[in-house]
Amino acid sequence: MKNFNYIQPKSLKEASDILKKKPHEAMLYAGGTDALGLMKQDIIKPEEVVNLKSVPGLNYISYTNGKGLRIGALTELAEIAENPVISEKYPILRHAALAVASPQLRNLGTIAGNLCQRPRCWYYREEFNCLRKGGDMCYAFDGQNKYHCVIGGGPCFIVHPSDLAVVLLALDAKLTVFGDRKTRTVQLKDFFVSPGDDYQHENNLKAGEIITEIQIPELPQDAKSAFVKFRERGVWDFAVVSVGAVIRKEGSKVISGKLAFGGVAPIPWMDESLNAKLPGVALSEEPVAQLVSEILKKAEPLSKNAYKVPLVRNLTKRLLLEL
Amino acid sequence: MARKIVKSRYYGDEGLIETMAEVPVDKLKAWGPDAELKVVGKPVSRLDGYEKVTGKAAFTFDVSLPRMTYAKILRSMVPHAKIRSIDTSEAEDLPGVLKILTHKNCPVIPWHWGTTVLFDTEVRYQGDEVACVVAESMQIAEDALSLIKVDYEILPFVSDPSEAMKAEAPKVHAWGNIIDGKPSLYSRGDVEKGFQDSDVIFEDTYSTQVVVHNPTEAHCSVVSWDGDKLTVWDSTQALFGVRDAIAKSLSMPASKVRVIKKFMGGGFGGKLEAGKYSVIAALISKEIGRPVRIALDRKEMNLSVGNRPDSVQKLKAGAKKDGTLLALSHYSFGNVGAYPNDADCSWPLRTLYKCPNVRTEEYSVLTNLGRARAYRAPGHVQGTFAFESMMDDLAEKLGLDPLELRRKNYTEIDPVSNRPYTSKLILDAYQKGSEAIGWKEKRKPAGSEKGRFRRGIGMASQIWWGGGGPPAYATIKLNEDASLHVMAGTQDLGTGTYTFLAQIASEVLELPIEKIQVTIGDTETCPYCSLSGGSMTAPSVSPAVRDASEQMKRKLISAAGAILETSESNVKYSAGKMSRLDDPAKIISISEVIEKLDEKMIVTTGAREANPEGYEINTFGAQFAEVEVDTDTGKVRVIKVVAAHDIGRVLNQKTLFNQLHGGIIQGIGYALMEERVVDTYTGKVLTTNIHDYKIPTIMETPQIEVIIVSSGDLLISNTGVKGVGEPAIIPTAAAIANAVYNATGVRIKSLPITADKVLMALSEKN
Repeated sequence: MKNFNYIQPKSLKEASDILKKKPHEAMLYAGGTDALGLMKQDIIKPEEVVNLKSVPGLNYISYTNGKGLRIGALTELAEIAENPVISEKYPILRHAALAVASPQLRNLGTIAGNLCQRPRCWYYREEFNCLRKGGDMCYAFDGQNKYHCVIGGGPCFIVHPSDLAVVLLALDAKLTVFGDRKTRTVQLKDFFVSPGDDYQHENNLKAGEIITEIQIPELPQDAKSAFVKFRERGVWDFAVVSVGAVIRKEGSKVISGKLAFGGVAPIPWMDESLNAKLPGVALSEEPVAQLVSEILKKAEPLSKNAYKVPLVRNLTKRLLLEL
Repeated sequence: MARKIVKSRYYGDEGLIETMAEVPVDKLKAWGPDAELKVVGKPVSRLDGYEKVTGKAAFTFDVSLPRMTYAKILRSMVPHAKIRSIDTSEAEDLPGVLKILTHKNCPVIPWHWGTTVLFDTEVRYQGDEVACVVAESMQIAEDALSLIKVDYEILPFVSDPSEAMKAEAPKVHAWGNIIDGKPSLYSRGDVEKGFQDSDVIFEDTYSTQVVVHNPTEAHCSVVSWDGDKLTVWDSTQALFGVRDAIAKSLSMPASKVRVIKKFMGGGFGGKLEAGKYSVIAALISKEIGRPVRIALDRKEMNLSVGNRPDSVQKLKAGAKKDGTLLALSHYSFGNVGAYPNDADCSWPLRTLYKCPNVRTEEYSVLTNLGRARAYRAPGHVQGTFAFESMMDDLAEKLGLDPLELRRKNYTEIDPVSNRPYTSKLILDAYQKGSEAIGWKEKRKPAGSEKGRFRRGIGMASQIWWGGGGPPAYATIKLNEDASLHVMAGTQDLGTGTYTFLAQIASEVLELPIEKIQVTIGDTETCPYCSLSGGSMTAPSVSPAVRDASEQMKRKLISAAGAILETSESNVKYSAGKMSRLDDPAKIISISEVIEKLDEKMIVTTGAREANPEGYEINTFGAQFAEVEVDTDTGKVRVIKVVAAHDIGRVLNQKTLFNQLHGGIIQGIGYALMEERVVDTYTGKVLTTNIHDYKIPTIMETPQIEVIIVSSGDLLISNTGVKGVGEPAIIPTAAAIANAVYNATGVRIKSLPITADKVLMALSEKN
């Protein structure tokens, strides 16, 4: 790890100004569970480490009846998993938070940090000068790509590692972003960036911008939600694939809903045309089997990850039938 | 006690060991199956348990000396290159850097049987040593590494053993890519005729992956010179091997090198050899006149300190309709990495069952990857997976119950040497193990389960040497306060050596275990014992401690006879007190005897007796696994493992369970998730941390039931102990693979059995 200056800003403005002044040298540090690993492996070598935790007022969970949930950027995943309001109103969020990493990591990792974590691609993490690190090729494309994307890839073939992003996408969440002395609001679905547009960044935060809050709209009374994360190891493992579903139904029929997927694409994946087919689907074996066969229809698996397509379809089918 | 020198023959981790050894002339009578032992075999808690759970125990990794410095090795980032030049000037200028060693300023010290040197000018795998920096702190040493400039002339490389075997493949060494330039061959009988006479032939190809030991404690050394004497604290399984290798490398007498290892966080075979790092640290330490600590990081451990070689095994079996095996053939190759080792794995096929006609042909192939080393039952784990998978396939083809096929081919004679076994209780293991798993009641025909979650039961047999043998010595010292000190040059890998040595002395001398102190892991103060590998520690060392303890008892009786003015035969020994049989009121304690002797202590040294002539000593067993396969995802969950083994006498029930549980969990990792993944385009390893290299957690740990079917082997030694470290892991993967087949009707022939393989195989089947 390279030596660095450790900066403890007292305000968002102060933090943002440093980040803006030194867009390449300064790094924002929240829980540090990912940042520290990146620094130790010399994947990033910041000169200034800006500790966001010295800025007060970014750790909260606030629910307003009829309006929804607001979560401060620095709220730890363990707090989300333990919060009684979240457990009652947004159980899917609790479920996703609990599925992350290990208890120790959940005690440190924050919700905004989880959305902003860097890819787990082993070519990115090891000593390969890959596209995302400024090199000129994606080693995964013709290489060991069992864990890589089956859709939306090229020229880089990562998957986005966040579990929370999948359920927040299905929950139609928004982010509040501070930067340039003002705030902006961005829909989560517009936050992530495909490698086709920019293969060195996973989101559209500009230099000096900081996520301050995650907003989740009120769910209708009749909404049902569920999340499933498939991982190879029972704990401390990233998703091979994951599925989040938020569905309104009447009787056994879907009125409306959203499905979101992790582990399949370089961004948390939502297919609007698929979701458009949800209304009217009866939640029974045949129609659900028909629906899930539409999932990842345009997938282009790499040499070692074709299994992800049936895996996602099987998991989604089970999830919908058990809603 | 009279001793003699004999030829000693036993099997270690790497196969047959033949040596000369000093052994007692008269053998002590072995503890029989009915021996009423009070301490041995009981669930005695570890003597070092308190120190370990409170964090007080100092492992090699924790050793800290005054004025200690820190070393870090620069390793090759490419799989194959010649070093054109190294520029260390910038690194040397970094404040706090004390010394940098490279091929330019390091003496030429041969390594790996002369196939390379300490710092070679040609690097042959990602991780090969290029330079070493010693600095005032770890941070400075690491910073300095990044300032060293190496100019490489990149050479062609090969990472796939099947490619490396081809004539046109890039050469890892000028002399070729196949060890000895030829396969290792074995045959008995007439295999072709055996196949011709068979009613049923089955053949298939099975493969296994490279796995890495990844012990909790890193490979590490702390070295310190005092004049011309070198002390090395090392995390090792082989004290004397490390001592001798370092002494030879530094051209100094072995008597001037002292190796110490008190506690250890695992080795699994990866710490049976001296590391280059220890020698490098010693060289630099001498030059700078300060102690040097060198500890490898997790990445180095995944690249540079060994692994279990992979294997591709083509097997063929011929049998009569009733299941009698007539012929077996085995062709295999495995990747040993950049420096010599062997990847042979046919031993289970040669010896598990009676079969008159057998042929094996095995290639150990060099590639530009980290070198293989012994890893917990080397060869047997790979070989058992393939062979016992095939036995199940054969049983299916013959329409026989898999257990019946195995029973049918049972042998009491070792099929290779034609010698009888000292004991073989594998039939009991089949019986008790199958009852415990519910073989008859619960096991259904393969693939008959329906629904999302499908359960299945499978089993596999185990054979391994594990008998140990001489030379091994233990010295015991009885003090005036009736406390006892046991000293033996063996080592505790975390397996409980400290505790069982004390138990044996406690048993014989009837002294409370709290009064017994054990010193092991020191080449200077302890008599010689062999390395701790091959499941040999307990079977080799425990009889020496019993011998020393029995000698001590006789000395005490002799002294008491003299003091109480009677013959030795008129003295009764009981719990540290000697009394006259004819006058029990005349009684004397250990303290009184030693005071009268005016010797302050009584010392005896015991030795491991010779192994019996004309026999083979082996451990046996069978493991039974129940699994549940999720057909939605392909994920395999192990529900239960029953481990039924013949391992001679149990010394300590608690540490025995530890060893078996650990081996089975490691076997589950091997079966289901662990794999070193290599990018074949660049020859670099992708799994250099223990997140990407997936080791099982408690979430993968099933219910484990241990059944020991043996109660002490009367022929091998006075304690009747065989080893258990390696038997524990040998059949696990095969039992799981057979259970997966039973659950799904799908045979996964390559390890690890990951969800993606199962899911794709299931969808192909449907």
